Amino acid sequence: MSRQGTVRSALDRAADRMLTAGVVERLGIGIASVVLAFVVGLCIVAAAGYSPLIFLNEMLLGALGSQRGIALTLRESSLYILTGVAVAVAFRAGIFNIGVQGQFIVGGLSATMAILRLAPFLPTGAVGGVALIVLGSLVGIAVGGAYAALPGALKAYADANEIITTIMLNFIALGVVLYLISGPFQGEGRQEPRTDSLPEYVEFPSLLFETGSFSVVGLVVALASVAVAYVLLTRTRMGYDMVTSGKQASAALYSGVRAERTIIGTMTFSGMVAGLTGAVFSIMVLGGYVDPQGIHTYGFDAIAVSLLAANNPLGVVPAGVLFGGLSRGGSFIGITTDIPAQLVDGVIGLVILFVAAPELFRMAARRTGLGSERR
Amino acid sequence: MSVAGTIRRNRLRLGVLVVALVAALAVAVWRDVALTALLTTGFVERSIRAATPIALAAIGGLYAEKSGVFNIGLEGFMIFGAVNAVAVTWLVSGGTAGTVTQTDLWIGLVGAVVLSVLYTVVFAIILLRYEASQIVAGLAVWILGLGFGPFTAVVIWGSQSSPRVGRIDAVSVPGLAEIPFLGDVFFDTSPLVVLTLLLVAAAWVFLYRTRYGYWLQAAGENPEALDTAGVNVSRVRYAAVIFSGAMAGLGGAVLSVGLSSGFVGGGLTMVDGRGWIGIVAYLFGNYNPVGAFGAALLFGAADMFQIQLQTINVDVPATLTGLLPYVVVIIVLAAYGRTRMPARVGEPYESEN
Amino acid sequence: MAGPDSRETVVRLDGITKRFGSVVANDGIDFELDDGTVHALVGENGSGKTTLMSVLYGLYDQDEGRIVVDGEPRTFDSPRDAIDAGIGMIHQHFQLVEPMTVLQNSILGHEPTTYGMVDEERARADIEAICSRYDFDVDEHLDTPVRDLDLGVQQRVEIVKSLYRGAEVLVLDEPTAVLTPQEVDRLFDLMGELRDQGTSLIFITHKLEEAMEIADRISVLRDGEKVGTIAAADATRERLAEMMVGREVLFDDEQRATETGEVVLEVDGLRVSDDRGLERVSGVDFDLRRGEIFGIAGVEGNGQAQLVQAVTGRRDVDDGRIRFQGEDMTDISRRDAIEAGIAYIPQDRLEDGLVLEDDLVRNALLGFQTLAPFVGEWFIDWDGVRDHADRIIDEYDVKPPDRTRLARSLSGGNQQKFVVGRELSHDPDLLVASHPTRGVDIGSIEFIHSQLLDMRDDGLPIVLVSSKLEEIQNLADRIAVMYEGEFVDTVRPDDVTEQDLGLLMTGHREAAGETPPAARDGGDLS
Repeated sequence: MSRQGTVRSALDRAADRMLTAGVVERLGIGIASVVLAFVVGLCIVAAAGYSPLIFLNEMLLGALGSQRGIALTLRESSLYILTGVAVAVAFRAGIFNIGVQGQFIVGGLSATMAILRLAPFLPTGAVGGVALIVLGSLVGIAVGGAYAALPGALKAYADANEIITTIMLNFIALGVVLYLISGPFQGEGRQEPRTDSLPEYVEFPSLLFETGSFSVVGLVVALASVAVAYVLLTRTRMGYDMVTSGKQASAALYSGVRAERTIIGTMTFSGMVAGLTGAVFSIMVLGGYVDPQGIHTYGFDAIAVSLLAANNPLGVVPAGVLFGGLSRGGSFIGITTDIPAQLVDGVIGLVILFVAAPELFRMAARRTGLGSERR
Repeated sequence: MSVAGTIRRNRLRLGVLVVALVAALAVAVWRDVALTALLTTGFVERSIRAATPIALAAIGGLYAEKSGVFNIGLEGFMIFGAVNAVAVTWLVSGGTAGTVTQTDLWIGLVGAVVLSVLYTVVFAIILLRYEASQIVAGLAVWILGLGFGPFTAVVIWGSQSSPRVGRIDAVSVPGLAEIPFLGDVFFDTSPLVVLTLLLVAAAWVFLYRTRYGYWLQAAGENPEALDTAGVNVSRVRYAAVIFSGAMAGLGGAVLSVGLSSGFVGGGLTMVDGRGWIGIVAYLFGNYNPVGAFGAALLFGAADMFQIQLQTINVDVPATLTGLLPYVVVIIVLAAYGRTRMPARVGEPYESEN
Repeated sequence: MAGPDSRETVVRLDGITKRFGSVVANDGIDFELDDGTVHALVGENGSGKTTLMSVLYGLYDQDEGRIVVDGEPRTFDSPRDAIDAGIGMIHQHFQLVEPMTVLQNSILGHEPTTYGMVDEERARADIEAICSRYDFDVDEHLDTPVRDLDLGVQQRVEIVKSLYRGAEVLVLDEPTAVLTPQEVDRLFDLMGELRDQGTSLIFITHKLEEAMEIADRISVLRDGEKVGTIAAADATRERLAEMMVGREVLFDDEQRATETGEVVLEVDGLRVSDDRGLERVSGVDFDLRRGEIFGIAGVEGNGQAQLVQAVTGRRDVDDGRIRFQGEDMTDISRRDAIEAGIAYIPQDRLEDGLVLEDDLVRNALLGFQTLAPFVGEWFIDWDGVRDHADRIIDEYDVKPPDRTRLARSLSGGNQQKFVVGRELSHDPDLLVASHPTRGVDIGSIEFIHSQLLDMRDDGLPIVLVSSKLEEIQNLADRIAVMYEGEFVDTVRPDDVTEQDLGLLMTGHREAAGETPPAARDGGDLS
């Protein structure tokens, strides 16, 4: 009785507060978060004794200033869109899969090893290349999915908090992959932790862009995953179950959703997309596998991508492109200026922080008279 | 609390510990080594030391959560604490590695805590005044730490890691240090270990014996009850969140200038999940500071177990044995996932006025 | 007893107005409480009673008007100020910290300390003194966590808490809503004792008989305005009801089922546990026939929730058997139950029955996302669902008639009508209705009742769980009374009085007179 009452009054207050977050408002909050994060980031740049103008200029130049820059921006964007979809699907179902980075890494190594081990049995050349890419990707998808299903099952059947188990599994993935590529899977004659390189014919065709580490195929794969996730969430029974569970778990149970199955299914799907990202990354960018400590933390940044997109797969596309530009610009300033590239990671953290607090902008909007007066 | 009652209530936790001991025993029998070679005084001492940063973060986290606020930013605050302690030490020592004194290190430690308080004030305002999603904002703090921690290092030292600055010396209490075992563990060790033990005890007394401790618990269980009793709920929650950030910052500082001799910013930084493990420590310790310390000890032991394996010449790559704490965390969560959280954690509370 | 006129006024409210946005919850209300009396404040849900008292207790700031206590104008910025002025409030939803002990709860916010530590021994002595002065039993439970006590004791803890803080004026907000008739008697004895020893009480209720029984004066609120104040001695039920509702009210009985068909549901030796693993249903048997409403009465927390969940597939059964339309349905899932045609109006529409952040279209599909015609093997036909939502809105008079509204933006009554409409729209073979009119306005209650009776007359078998005795007595054809997981008795509604049911609800099979054993509590659905 009393519990019900407190829930109700909490909900009433929430109703009062939330207004109805429409698309326009979400867009506004997303843009405001990014802008504010940048302003704070620029202040930090200035405080640390660097020139904010040079920083901005070099960021833009790096991301969009040349055909190579654009290609690298799109390469990063593809990876952010893929990992962003992986995160968005889970978050939409109310499951905090923070383990996309780990699933991405194990998926990538598995795809690499599958291709290396299967290559001798298949013809060389374009046909063999395509076959190996498909098989490698399928292995990456399967392993990524399985690596995510584990914390899903632990949550479903043992109530183990998925935030912490997935983070622990990130650390474990890093360690195990490092061990494997410096031991059993280490390339012949290599001193550093690294696998053999993939055969030359295992690569995406270069269309439109010359840069070797980006292919339009990667972007197409990313957009296809967006389409699949969008249809899944909005049009299918499974998607209805997932979204309902994410919004209000008790109502989902009332409606006959099998919670365990939905949790594991969601995690598996999310991990499969992460595993696919790993395969794309190793085939398109790495051409083998390297020390995962040195691989960019796409899986963490994807949290920001997804939140910025309000966990909507369609929104992940612009958010992913934005982050692709940030990432490419960040590595560019790391080379052309003495401004630490880690700054960009910090700005991403700020974006997440601000997106987490929409009330910040609503209050600001009310105070300045912007936005709709709906209270 | 009777002993029998405590045992009954904690059956599952004790069960996990027993399984851990049996596993250690099995390893010993299987590799045919004497158990005494595994469970040495040095192992206990190392485990306690390894447990201190985790325990400090855990106590901070449990205070916040008792008051009704998730602070899952502990990991991030630890990273800031670790880098700031070294940075402050560096700046007060005049900016060279050779001139760092013990006083500088202590100033660095305190400075890191002060800075953590400042950061957490901002964080608390975002959480409580602007009602941010506590989970997402906590994650953001981690990402911020992963970015700005190494950023700070690059700005000051030109590299993601600091040079060696030394660490706070161990203190040996004359006489008491001679006591077998206890002397080694408690009286010939880092003063930070002793400080942590004192903080654990103080946190317990404060929580269960003072009125503020009562208010803290009420704020997390039924804020309306506290509000209608005339106590300002949001003041209680602010205090708890800020305390949690200070403790996590202290934990990070202990890690960088107490246990190591500088900051390491590569990969996921030297904090390497200890803040997350701290969360599990207080869950497993059932929100009791003493229990949280016990759980931190378990994770500290898992961390140091690799050294024991090396001393008995068990040849498992360090990369893999280093993962033991993370595996233990998952096992603990799987065996003991169903904790009873304070009823109203994560819900914003606004007094009607 | 001295006449009310000769007494001093301890609390006076002058022209209190309180607005929430554009809604005026209190409109210029005057109110006076005389020393050592009980003043009842009656009105329908939403008439502004609780708001007025929250203003008095410092929880809300009034927009206009003033508060005068003991002849002095006061402003209360927080409950602390009200407490300091000697005012205590017993909220409808108890303000107790469940895992903390009775003692700790009683002193919360006013803990005596010695050397900085809470001095529980001193507090214990003070509370024992209060208990013996007013003859309370609370001191028997001082070291028990509040969650282990039944609601009646929890309520007395609340009263002790206020007295410990030095309250001389007590506001009791709907204190009888959670009590059995026998516990209500006990509460009234206690209130009488408090009054005789000089405490002044404000008693909020919507039950007219109660107001007339215990109060010295009665004030009636309607739509945020005060209709009037009369002496209890001059009050009649009809006059109060007319003041409260604003029109003449007819108290009439519903028609009973005339004929019943074959047995549809058979429950046999059912045993069910709650989330904590405690057995809450301990061997329940019953049959339900077509065209019959089977009522289950009882104090909440005696296993009704678990029984309902077992029948609707929401909870696993430990032992026993459920047969539905001749087939064994004991171990079915919630999904199977829905597909077998078991409709379910849940106890808590805000938790279970509706997804608050979804619009009515998505909510129209809730529970039916695997069923034709809206859903095929994989894909959802959203056009079909939209039409379906419009049909429910139209047939069940949901206002505003707009399928794009979020569920949370509807009033309680309209939310509930939507849930009822959705559940009945799939032509069910059984309806399980758990507290179908809780927190719903009178108009919607009448509508829902008439819908249930119509469906019953069309042959639908209905299980009705309610803690409102009036509802059960009016609607049910048979009433089972549940106590501590068992059916104490099954009776015909016309053969028993509310008092009889009250006795059964506390576990008494026949004779009155013994002290009722404590009912177990804590079994809500969450």
